[in-house]
Amino acid sequence: MRTAIPALVTTEIRLFLREPVSLVFVVAFPALVVLVMGGVFDPNDPTFAGVTPAAYYTAAYFAVVLAALGLIMLPAHLASYHQAGVLRRFHASHFPAWALPAAWAVVAVLMALVGFAVTLATAFLSYGVPAVQHPWATAGAIGLSTFMFINVGLFLGLVLPTSRAADAVGLTLFFPLFLLSGSGPPPAAMPEVMRTISDALPMTQSIRSIQSAWLGIGTVEPGGWVMLVTVSALALGGWLVMARRIADD
Amino acid sequence: MNATQTAPPGVEVATGTTDTAIEVTSLVKCYDGQRVVDDVSFSVRPGEIFGLLGANGAGKTTTVECLQGLRRPDSGRLRVLGLDPLTQRAPLRAVVGSQLQEAALPDRLRVGEAIALFAAGAGGSGGRARPGRREVAALLRPWGLHRHRRSSFADLSGGQRQRLFIALALLHRPQVLFLDELTQGLDPAARRDVWDVIRDVREAGTTVVMVSHLADEVEELCDRAAVLREGRVVHTGTPQELTRRFGGPTRITFTPPPGLDPARLRHLPGVRTVARCPQDPGALAVVGDAAMTPAVCAATITDGRGPSDLHVTHPRLHQAMLTLIGATS
Repeated sequence: MRTAIPALVTTEIRLFLREPVSLVFVVAFPALVVLVMGGVFDPNDPTFAGVTPAAYYTAAYFAVVLAALGLIMLPAHLASYHQAGVLRRFHASHFPAWALPAAWAVVAVLMALVGFAVTLATAFLSYGVPAVQHPWATAGAIGLSTFMFINVGLFLGLVLPTSRAADAVGLTLFFPLFLLSGSGPPPAAMPEVMRTISDALPMTQSIRSIQSAWLGIGTVEPGGWVMLVTVSALALGGWLVMARRIADD
Repeated sequence: MNATQTAPPGVEVATGTTDTAIEVTSLVKCYDGQRVVDDVSFSVRPGEIFGLLGANGAGKTTTVECLQGLRRPDSGRLRVLGLDPLTQRAPLRAVVGSQLQEAALPDRLRVGEAIALFAAGAGGSGGRARPGRREVAALLRPWGLHRHRRSSFADLSGGQRQRLFIALALLHRPQVLFLDELTQGLDPAARRDVWDVIRDVREAGTTVVMVSHLADEVEELCDRAAVLREGRVVHTGTPQELTRRFGGPTRITFTPPPGLDPARLRHLPGVRTVARCPQDPGALAVVGDAAMTPAVCAATITDGRGPSDLHVTHPRLHQAMLTLIGATS
């Protein structure tokens, strides 16, 4: 086991680098939207709670990178492994049921770092990187969101039987969340009903936690933290159970 | 292949005390309330190739998956080298190798990488370090895969994939090897190659359990086989026994030379019927036990000459299988 898990992680990273197309969406989409959304609004628009729209969206798009990873890339990848019998193949050898998903969690963290770097580089080259108000809290908020989205991605990837199903479900979850969580129109511009829905979404809490630590705007209600932790824990428990069920019926 | 096998403690003791490699007693497994495996019992001796034969859905795969600890039986007692697959999964995995039906590797994984990765996986319980490049090549050579070391899994042919799976299953030198429909979808030449590999594995002392629905494969490889039908074992025996008991009669056809009296054939020992051959009204078909063959053949010789079209059809395992599992497949 001591050599097996690192071997699995390095192999999966190598496989991923051999076919890095899936990273395009994770990297290019948030960077593109930072450019567009950061540019369309008046920099002094009061909807953004005193920060520039570019600063608002740069912070928000750390969560978008994670959502793209957790809702689209990871589920599609793991479901295709599941569908083809790769998970069973590994499990029947000496790899524990959780090993392959865990290796993919490590790959996903590395991809998230690449996504963050591209988002920051885009901001740096266009509207500037916003100053970080509370560095530790920012790192913590990004860390918690990373943990949540990766676990959700592993759960979806193991629950959904085929890569087509994973694509369909992933895109269906991603775009409404993207539009309603504050990464599309800012909450202040939303009508009452939409804002109520937005408040109930984990991704809204994720974006808010990052923005409040990084930019010093808004706060996360205790209920928001509970939501982030609960979703993370449920997803983690869920994929561990699923991994076992795939391994033995 | 120069690394030595180091079995985990306890395993040697377990194998030393059993003279059967595998013991299955009253195995039951249900899916959605349906008994897919229904009271199956058999045992496998060390060093033999044991076949599980049956139509699709007869419960063969489920049975071997339970034996490998990949599925949880509803009831019954299983022992593989004295180990319980359900509760002693880790030591079991150190001594068994699996080639699974409908399993795959990641498309972009290269052959050499798969060997290195799975060897590292096996190292967790076998104490083996991750092999270097030269060792990987040495591991691939017996399977004819060393020239494909850099090929992606997706680019391998069906036969190459199966050989890779067997190579992976044997990396940690298992004492029992499970094979599930290993020549499915292979062309005849590739099947021969894989069969040769399996014979070599047995020569090396490994016990092999193979699932198949192909009679010729079982005839070719197995020392004994259990025939499953709708989740139950309908017969266990050597392929020869199965063929003798259920393979149908021996049939001899020929164009009778002038002067041969068919009625005389009817009285020869072992002959059951003598009739006109339906496919060729000019010919006779003699049906009976295998023991009738020399006498019937001798009777066809008149004036030192026999019929040039004499043809003996022996009982076939294929026919035995159809008899035992029904013609529904």
